[in-house]
Amino acid sequence: MEAEQDLVDFAVDYARQRGATYAEARFERQEQENFILKNGVLDALYVGQDRGLGVKVLAGGSLGFAATNTLTKPGVREIVDDAVHLAKASRRKTPIAFAQEEAITTNWSVPEGKKLADVPVEEKIAEIREVDKQLMALGLKVPARYFQLADNRIIKYFGNSEGSRIRSYSPRLRIYYYLTVVREGDSEQTHRDYGWSGGWEGVRAWDLTNRVLEEARSMDKSLREGKKSPEGKMDLVVGPQVSGIAAHESCGHPTEADRVLGREASQAGKSFISPDGLGMKVGSELVNVCDDPTIEHAIAYYLTDDEGVRARRRYLYKEGRVNEFLQNRETAAYFRTRSNGAARAVNYNVEAIVRMANTFVEPKDQSLEELLEGVKFGVYMKSFMEWNIDDKRYNAKYAGREAYLVENGQLKHPVRNTVIELTTPTFWSAVDAVGKDFEFEAGFCGKSDPGQALDASLGGPSMRLRNVYLR
Amino acid sequence: MEDIAARIVKKALHLGCQDAVADLVENRSYQIRFAQNEPVISNRWRETYASVFLVHDKRVVATDVKDLSDADAAVERLVKIAKASQRNPEHVGIARGPFKYARVRPDPKVLALEDGRTFVEAAIGGALEMGAKECAGSFWRYEDEHSLVTSSGVEGHDHRASLYLSIRAMTSLESSGHGIACATRMSQFEPEKAGRKAGRIAALAKDPKPGKAGKYTIVFDPLIFGSLTDNAVGRLSAYAVLAGLSPYGKKIGKRVASEAVTIVDDGSGDSISRKRFDSEGVPTRRNVVIQKGILKTYLHNTSTAKRFKTRTTGNAGLIAPEPHAVFVKPGDWKKDEIFSEVKDGLWLTNTWYTRYQSYVNGNLSTIPRDGIFHIRKGEVMEAWKDVRLTDNLIRLLRNVVALSDTTEQMMWWGEVSIPNHVPYALIKDVGITRSAE
Repeated sequence: MEAEQDLVDFAVDYARQRGATYAEARFERQEQENFILKNGVLDALYVGQDRGLGVKVLAGGSLGFAATNTLTKPGVREIVDDAVHLAKASRRKTPIAFAQEEAITTNWSVPEGKKLADVPVEEKIAEIREVDKQLMALGLKVPARYFQLADNRIIKYFGNSEGSRIRSYSPRLRIYYYLTVVREGDSEQTHRDYGWSGGWEGVRAWDLTNRVLEEARSMDKSLREGKKSPEGKMDLVVGPQVSGIAAHESCGHPTEADRVLGREASQAGKSFISPDGLGMKVGSELVNVCDDPTIEHAIAYYLTDDEGVRARRRYLYKEGRVNEFLQNRETAAYFRTRSNGAARAVNYNVEAIVRMANTFVEPKDQSLEELLEGVKFGVYMKSFMEWNIDDKRYNAKYAGREAYLVENGQLKHPVRNTVIELTTPTFWSAVDAVGKDFEFEAGFCGKSDPGQALDASLGGPSMRLRNVYLR
Repeated sequence: MEDIAARIVKKALHLGCQDAVADLVENRSYQIRFAQNEPVISNRWRETYASVFLVHDKRVVATDVKDLSDADAAVERLVKIAKASQRNPEHVGIARGPFKYARVRPDPKVLALEDGRTFVEAAIGGALEMGAKECAGSFWRYEDEHSLVTSSGVEGHDHRASLYLSIRAMTSLESSGHGIACATRMSQFEPEKAGRKAGRIAALAKDPKPGKAGKYTIVFDPLIFGSLTDNAVGRLSAYAVLAGLSPYGKKIGKRVASEAVTIVDDGSGDSISRKRFDSEGVPTRRNVVIQKGILKTYLHNTSTAKRFKTRTTGNAGLIAPEPHAVFVKPGDWKKDEIFSEVKDGLWLTNTWYTRYQSYVNGNLSTIPRDGIFHIRKGEVMEAWKDVRLTDNLIRLLRNVVALSDTTEQMMWWGEVSIPNHVPYALIKDVGITRSAE
């Protein structure tokens, strides 16, 4: 690691010599193991040993970025020359500036109970094989079973021309699965995704076998007993998975400052919130939505971002109003504020941009039973399958996977393919009660060009929405 | 550098592997991202690594070796891990070479390009000239060089380079258009044309009204039709079929599209992802996947082909078969005739966020973005906003009524993940939904 730290220091110093007004360099090593168990067969085991260095410079008011995996002084010199040359050649009319931040020297790491590197691959495979075996023992018809277990140990060393030097270690674990359950020519599909920052103990925390079995049973029940979902205006109770996706899609994304400013317009899109939209009402007073990188064991845990800024909790929506944008140093300068530590990159070879981390609806005080008690006629949508949202983050759709009819506060039969298709303010303004239960799931959040699919957590409690249109 | 690939394969065989593939990749790509009519960052990559695939006693492992000075040790680690892994009875080997490859060389002018600003300026200028106020997008000069060696007698070299530009032009948050330019030769690259198209759609999309739900006859611009064909061909990978992630299972020989639709996957054709060989070293070739609406084949590597009792289609990826580039056979309609055919319908120009309720039945929704137009008797009546296309992948392609007589190469940020050469398409009875009040 010492050699790589020297290269980061060299890159920063050399960039300044070459005329950069600001320079940062980031070394990353990612050690990955992931495999797919498809229909009981181990398809392939991928073992990655990725490492390299990226440098970002500000010169002549423009940004240049270059990356290499040739970790020698000549290799690094070459990319610094590239980055400075590219920046100077850009000749922007409006110079880019970075918000002022303190220089940080720190070394942080995620506690790892049982080190991922110490768990033999056969133990990892056996863990998922056992889940698959228990699933098959249910006796259901599950013709397509797809499990992907991935771990990634990320070591970073960051340095910038303002004196920050940050070393970090993040072990991460993730399970993604897809199931198709069939009964009498009809089928149900599901996918779930759980993440963990830490060691192998995360597998126990997931309680994966029980979750998978419960999911498969509910799918079969939907096929056996499911009826058409009622259509019209009615009350809706959503589970943590639905709260989480809504928090991510219609609160997290529209408050990304780079999106608000149009930097992502051609790809991930813009935002219905304008640059002067802080304070805008988007939901009921019960709605608090946060993004917080500092939640222990959440998969997007970090203490300093990829621009060397300390991480902290951000209240994106507070009491139903837009409260804070997610900022990096570039966007913060535009808004004449400070970065709130939201700059992240998926690897050494791409620039850090504004990203969510662990985004969630803040829980309150009601049990699920209390939420349901208040429903005379409606639907409880525990989880979803299909979803999407437009690129200004205003029109969202969530189609139910596990859902039930609710009558007089009681859960009745499953209902199939319940569709919520609402605008962001309609959805959040309808929230009249928020539960005290809480769950996180993992997701890959896509943004930027080249695309950066980044670890994210999505979560929240159950919530009750009054009088919304379902079909 | 090419020797490294041979050395990795030799080392793997020495350690007892039955199959070994090493693809030494040199990435020298360059990009300018722009927004608000100015560059926001320029990027350059200088990366050299080896993608490695090994099979030891039916145990399949793969890696990317980034530290090439440590390649021997990386192979040793990989074989050790393979021994601790489990057998994959579905792996039946890799293609036996040697093969002869088509002679294709990248355009020297593309390789020599050091500065793409003039292309960015041309695209933005074209859009602004048509009435746009704000433009964002990316210019790419892709360049990568592959040296492939396998344990089955394959040795191949492929130097790939191309130009790409994507531009979104806006007159307001809700009035926008998108344009794409793709070329393997500098002389064919038309960024200004892409900008003008984006700007023209943005200007036409001014003051959009909330759309209305219903069933419509719809003109699909090439970019959104490319999203549909990209989805279709992606789901034709034999891997997707076996994993239950495709609506095309057990449909070989059956009708999956209207007679107007013939779709070819062809890695050897002129596209910005043209390649001489797949990940096993099999020469890429033209594969008709859907002919006059009938499903002819899935996309295969050697192992999936054996499973389906057929031959590889030359679509091997490192692990699973994947499409290279899609070519839709043009129809015999003029573009204007397609628009004139619509008595009361829509014209959609782009989409994003396509998601499935079930991959097995193909039920999906996707969100049209950029220009959405209500048309009557071929004329644009007004721009719409805030609608969603809610339908089924197979039903959409079965409802194709007409295709225009020319195609355009489209690729865009995940939604059209590989080059799709697509015409304008006319599709009837397409489901449109919108957010409830």
